[in-house]
Amino acid sequence: MKIIPCLRILTLTVLCACAVPLRAADQELNLFAWSEYVPQGVLEAFEEETGITVNYETFASGEEMLAKLIAGGTAYDLIQPPDYIAEALIKNRLLLPVDFAQVPNFRHILAEYKGMPHDPEQKFTVPYMTGTVGIVVNTERIKTPIRGVKDLFSPQHKGRIVVVDDGRELVTAALYVLGHPLNNITPETLEQTRPLLAEWFNLIKLFDSDSPKTALLNGDVDLGYVWGGEAAALWNEDRKFQYVLPAEGAHLFVDVLAIPVGAKNLQAAHAFLDFVLRPEVSRQISDEFPYTNPNGEARKLLTDAQRANPASYPPARPLDTFRHLGDTGALIDELVTDLKNAR
Amino acid sequence: MNPMIDVRTVTKRFGSFAAVDEVSLQIRAGEFLTLLGPSGCGKTTLLRLISGFEEPDAGAIWIAGEDVTGRPPYRRNVNQVFQSYALFPHLTVRENIAFGLRMQKVPAVEAGRRIDEVMELVALTGFEQRRPAELSGGQRQRVALARAIVPRPAVLLLDEPLSALDAKLRKSMQLELKQLQRRLGMTFVFVTHDQEEALTMSDRIAVFDRGRIEQLGTAADIYHRPQTAFVADFVGEANVLRATVSARQGERIDLILPGGFVVSANAGIVPPQARKVTLSIRPEKICLTADRTDTGGAVPARVEEIVFQGATSRLVLVAGADLRLVALVANESSLRSALAVGDSVACALHPEDLVVVGWE
Amino acid sequence: MQALPTAASARAHARPPKVVGWLLLAPLLVWLAAFVVLPLLVLLVYSFCQRDDLGRVVFSFTWENYERVFSPLYLRILGRSIGYAGLTTIICLVIGFPVAWFIARQTPARRNRLLLLVMIPFWTNFLIRTYAWIVILKGEGLLNALLQYGRIIAEPIELLYTPFAVLTGLVYAYLPFMILPIYVSAEKVDGSLVEAAHDLGAGPLRAFSSVIIPLTQPGILAGVLLVFVPAIGMFAITDLMGGAQVPLIGNVIQNQFLRARNWPFGAALGVVFTLLFVVTYALAQRRRRRHA
Repeated sequence: MKIIPCLRILTLTVLCACAVPLRAADQELNLFAWSEYVPQGVLEAFEEETGITVNYETFASGEEMLAKLIAGGTAYDLIQPPDYIAEALIKNRLLLPVDFAQVPNFRHILAEYKGMPHDPEQKFTVPYMTGTVGIVVNTERIKTPIRGVKDLFSPQHKGRIVVVDDGRELVTAALYVLGHPLNNITPETLEQTRPLLAEWFNLIKLFDSDSPKTALLNGDVDLGYVWGGEAAALWNEDRKFQYVLPAEGAHLFVDVLAIPVGAKNLQAAHAFLDFVLRPEVSRQISDEFPYTNPNGEARKLLTDAQRANPASYPPARPLDTFRHLGDTGALIDELVTDLKNAR
Repeated sequence: MNPMIDVRTVTKRFGSFAAVDEVSLQIRAGEFLTLLGPSGCGKTTLLRLISGFEEPDAGAIWIAGEDVTGRPPYRRNVNQVFQSYALFPHLTVRENIAFGLRMQKVPAVEAGRRIDEVMELVALTGFEQRRPAELSGGQRQRVALARAIVPRPAVLLLDEPLSALDAKLRKSMQLELKQLQRRLGMTFVFVTHDQEEALTMSDRIAVFDRGRIEQLGTAADIYHRPQTAFVADFVGEANVLRATVSARQGERIDLILPGGFVVSANAGIVPPQARKVTLSIRPEKICLTADRTDTGGAVPARVEEIVFQGATSRLVLVAGADLRLVALVANESSLRSALAVGDSVACALHPEDLVVVGWE
Repeated sequence: MQALPTAASARAHARPPKVVGWLLLAPLLVWLAAFVVLPLLVLLVYSFCQRDDLGRVVFSFTWENYERVFSPLYLRILGRSIGYAGLTTIICLVIGFPVAWFIARQTPARRNRLLLLVMIPFWTNFLIRTYAWIVILKGEGLLNALLQYGRIIAEPIELLYTPFAVLTGLVYAYLPFMILPIYVSAEKVDGSLVEAAHDLGAGPLRAFSSVIIPLTQPGILAGVLLVFVPAIGMFAITDLMGGAQVPLIGNVIQNQFLRARNWPFGAALGVVFTLLFVVTYALAQRRRRRHA
């Protein structure tokens, strides 16, 4: 939800002004993470085992997280940025290095998720969950084959499409179609995507980042350009929802856990990192949120059905990741606003 | 000549309660007719039936020779002066008065002339641009009056228009209203619970009680010849006495009052088959003498209370356990100066002053 | 002639507050300073600042944000927002006035019961109420099912994620803000004034336009402000019920703070927006005073 975090910001701003932050260190953990991403059961198990109270505050987008982090206010102990935001934070020296000696379970992380471009020295971040962005097809309604973004945005599907309300994802899809590398976002390449996006926007019924699966389940749309986890949940619900990685190109997003500068409860933060990397805990997270699990030991604990979910574990192929954009982020927002407005 | 307003056996119920119960009433053109009665007697409901704010459950209402039953108020040629005046607070005095003419689409020049006239008539010239909130009670009353008469309705309905004014202003407004009505020659239907107001202003009075007309007549009729105990009691003050018919002696008939006192009455006013009658006599008609000797026909009594009322004093007299009388005595009289509480007096009830208001 | 009330007696109620009055007002003044004046000042300062590549506010002066606010793109969005808010206000007025008038003409006991009915939806969270509308309007939702069952339509019609859905959501959310102030005005209107208008020859329409409307005007104005102003800035309904297809000014501002991380531009939009409200309000007040 977008509004709930907004209201929360309000409440928290008020509360923070009054709260007395004088509790003994490491009796609590201030966790700032995505909404609907950390199971309540995991938090409770951690609290019970360690006696540490977890204050779980949520955000709905990486940008929102960043906005709140740099606005100051609460001193978070652990944050959960997407990879490209983590990269920006590392570059701006806003993260503390992780003491991997305190996180022995990090050894379970598969090699391909270590030393990724956002954290090449593998000093600051721990992968939490990963996933792709791809196409969901309601195969009962859509009989034509859908292989890539071009098939998705075909005029015959006008008004039957939901996409994530995320400018960068949509621009990236357009870049794929145009044959540009996904991180090659400049004013020039953005201008090139404009006519393509304008055409697509006319076909889109709904922009929704929070729960794009709802409209698909409700039957209001038949096609989606959505997060892999959402697609996986749909597949679990009904096998008619098939997941397709776009033929033109696809990328991997990695949501990581990291310790921001100013964190007070470092021990608690490390304890939590190690806790969620335990194979059985990590499996529990996968049970509830079927994204791609980077934890090799945890994957072994999954059922066959979970491993067979094409949205969670799509066929292996080389995938890029988002890189920090700098100033061009604002250009994307203006482009998307302009295109939506022109409809 | 056709009546201006013809109320034909009209009934109006609120739930099971009949506020107006089969009432028939004919009001002549140019007449000042008052509907008089206690609150809740149905007089205001009858007024609202005439104006069109209520519709009768049975019966019909004709105005100026037309059946207006079922016609909304804005298509009836009657206007009303409301008890609360109901002046439009957002309009000036002049705009308030102009309202009816605007609705009738009277041309501006003629409307202006008529408004000027009526403002002069009710002595409001100079107040055109005031708003109702800036006026006194009496001025508001005049605005309400002007607003209602300027469209020249066939009938003007007035719903207790003077009740919000203080006593002195009310007296002068009573006279003004009556003069105005005569000058305009307009039919006025006036509702009040104040019998004095009714007696002062009306050509005819319809006394209401419990949804029915008890008596319809001129002020003098109503006052001097009440037909029911209710009318006798409600209009002015009356001594209402129960008496038994004793013996007829030609022109005279003897009636026995409680306590065994015998009075004579004109035989003509007592129906032949009556055995018991209810009598009424006005307090000012009781003749008192300080003479203690028992003269024929006079009731001996004791003065219990004397109340000074300006020109007169009101005396409460006790003649035995079951008979109390109220009498008025002029304060200038020698009799008054001779009387004190506890004195004995003789009360003469003259036959021509006795009115029979009920019998069985 | 009666003496008119003097000016002095009318002014007695408006004498300036003494020390005790100011003391009693103090909490409110502190509240206003802390939660209204201060944030507005911050907004004003930010709106002339720049941002770095992370989105942090850099305090160096620029007009750029305002230039952007008044670029055709954002002016069009503002215009559209005003259009939606205006339409919402008109629909609320057309639906809300008769309801308010009807309630105000009932006996006091029934009035309270009816007002309760108007307010009951407010006891539920705004989002839950909005989601309820989604359940009603969606393709396989209640309304379509009902229409199909009644054989009024053969195929489900698109209701959700359309301008119609946005308007429905807006009207639903703000209708009580129209009904309540009009009710307060209507309740004070003496019924005999309407009767007097009829009595003087005004049919229902004339009585409505020349008596009822002027007398309930304070309530109408208050209702219009209470609906129009927040409706311009609303973003949740456009997102949830409109499918975030067409941005309104509220969505744009929200985006600047949460996604684009362009606080200075968001602040500039906020300042212009606030000024717009102040001007609207001032105009409404002037009109009201002229009629008082």
